Amino acid sequence: MKKSFIAFWRRNLAFSELAIVSNLEYRFNFVIDAFVQPLITVGIELLLWIAIFKTTEATLIGGFGKEAYLAYGVWAPFLGRIAVSWMYESMMVEEVSSGSINVILARPISFYEYYLSQMMGYKFITTVLSLLAPLSVSYFFHLPIHYDRIPLALLLVFYYLFLIHTLSFVISTFAFFLTRVRSLTLVKNLTLWLLAGELVPIDLMPETLSKILLLSPFPSGVYIPVAYMTGRVDINMISQGFLSVSISILVSCLIGHWLWKKGLEEYTGTGA
Amino acid sequence: MQFIQTIKKYFGLYQAFFKASLVADLEFRLNFILLVFAEFIWYSTQLVLYEVIYRHTNIIGNWTLNQMRVFVFLALFVDSIYMILWDPNFSKFNDEVRKGNLDLLLTKPINSMFMISSQKISISHIPCLFITGAGLIWSLMQIPDFNWLKLFWLILLIPSGLSVIFVGRLALNSSAIIFSRADFLQYVWYSIFRLGLRPDAIYSGTLRYILIFILPFAMVASVPTRFLLEPIQFGFALWALIMPILLLSFMNWYWKFCMKYYSSASS
Repeated sequence: MKKSFIAFWRRNLAFSELAIVSNLEYRFNFVIDAFVQPLITVGIELLLWIAIFKTTEATLIGGFGKEAYLAYGVWAPFLGRIAVSWMYESMMVEEVSSGSINVILARPISFYEYYLSQMMGYKFITTVLSLLAPLSVSYFFHLPIHYDRIPLALLLVFYYLFLIHTLSFVISTFAFFLTRVRSLTLVKNLTLWLLAGELVPIDLMPETLSKILLLSPFPSGVYIPVAYMTGRVDINMISQGFLSVSISILVSCLIGHWLWKKGLEEYTGTGA
Repeated sequence: MQFIQTIKKYFGLYQAFFKASLVADLEFRLNFILLVFAEFIWYSTQLVLYEVIYRHTNIIGNWTLNQMRVFVFLALFVDSIYMILWDPNFSKFNDEVRKGNLDLLLTKPINSMFMISSQKISISHIPCLFITGAGLIWSLMQIPDFNWLKLFWLILLIPSGLSVIFVGRLALNSSAIIFSRADFLQYVWYSIFRLGLRPDAIYSGTLRYILIFILPFAMVASVPTRFLLEPIQFGFALWALIMPILLLSFMNWYWKFCMKYYSSASS
């Protein structure tokens, strides 16, 4: 048991390292991804909220002041970028569509695990390095951030990534049955983006809608961790986030497992 | 005479591209329907943002909700045109460079920038063009005493705004030729383009001037909206005429500059 866990751990660590090394190989590309893009996005969001508070008569919107929204504007796009998988999902779909999945099927590692460890490695290195940007902006502008809450908030985001990866896995299994599935990725990611609360804090939405959204697992990617860091919600909401993500992972794993089995029955190993 | 011949040649090519894209897109019908659906989600998010914020405030910048709707629908209308004409080509640009497919395009007896940017037309965005156009008309109907003749200004201002998007995206993509791998520059574009999806009134001082004259994203929808809703500023009309010429001249130079770094990947 212990031996098999060590083998499992080593295998996954190796794939994570592979993802880190291959992403750091093209440094310009990495710098753009980890620093330039988040800074631009954060800058634009800050300007929007500054303008809103400059022109509105009220000093509070939805019960929170300017600094609270600036903090939200800084952290929501940062976490939103972590809590999404475009690159690895495209790669997974491509593997299935093109038939190059044969190589992975012949290896002593599952398709799910192979890409999960790579995505986690990539997300880990990008998060660690780009964390500097929102931290320094928060410090410089004295934004109301509970710094001691950041580790738990990030933990929820990384836990949410398991759900995101499982959903990517589900989407990639559709490539067994359909010729083109890029549109599914697009629809799924845009929907998650809207439901996660990156665009606008969920508590600003109409009350009924906001309650329904908070019961779903998707705010655990952006809204709940940012709201927890900025003091909009307490630890109970984080617990609720972990719970709804766990249930969703379970459900999506079952769906994914069923689709995978059906897909393999349909699959003809071309390119071998 | 030769000019007319050239126009005819490019128009003919464009017709062929359109037919090929139509056939290709409609071949995978479920994919097509989902793409249309995805675009509606994307456009809805832009509307939702302002609709939610205006539940808590009456004015942003110096625009009311009705005025902001005109801006949002106009921005989305311009974006739809860009998506139909160029986006699929720019999205696959990096792959074309890396896989060496650019070689084939460069050998064609037509302008290489035209070829790389116009081969594929996004048919799935055409419904969005109609919806956002209808949305624009609806939002203008909510403006009391709107002078409908002002819509003629859009004949000048929309192409001008499109030139900003075209040059911005192509310039970023062309940089991928210099750096052997620059996939994430595409994502930078989506971040920068947010500048155009926000009203220029939220930017103040030097930044606003930068967004009008240097990185002219304000010309995409903010300035055209001001032409529709506020007294005409003829200085901006003149700038809308000159700016595309400057941008396209720059792009022509930059494209040639980047081409010097291109090493045929397929050979």
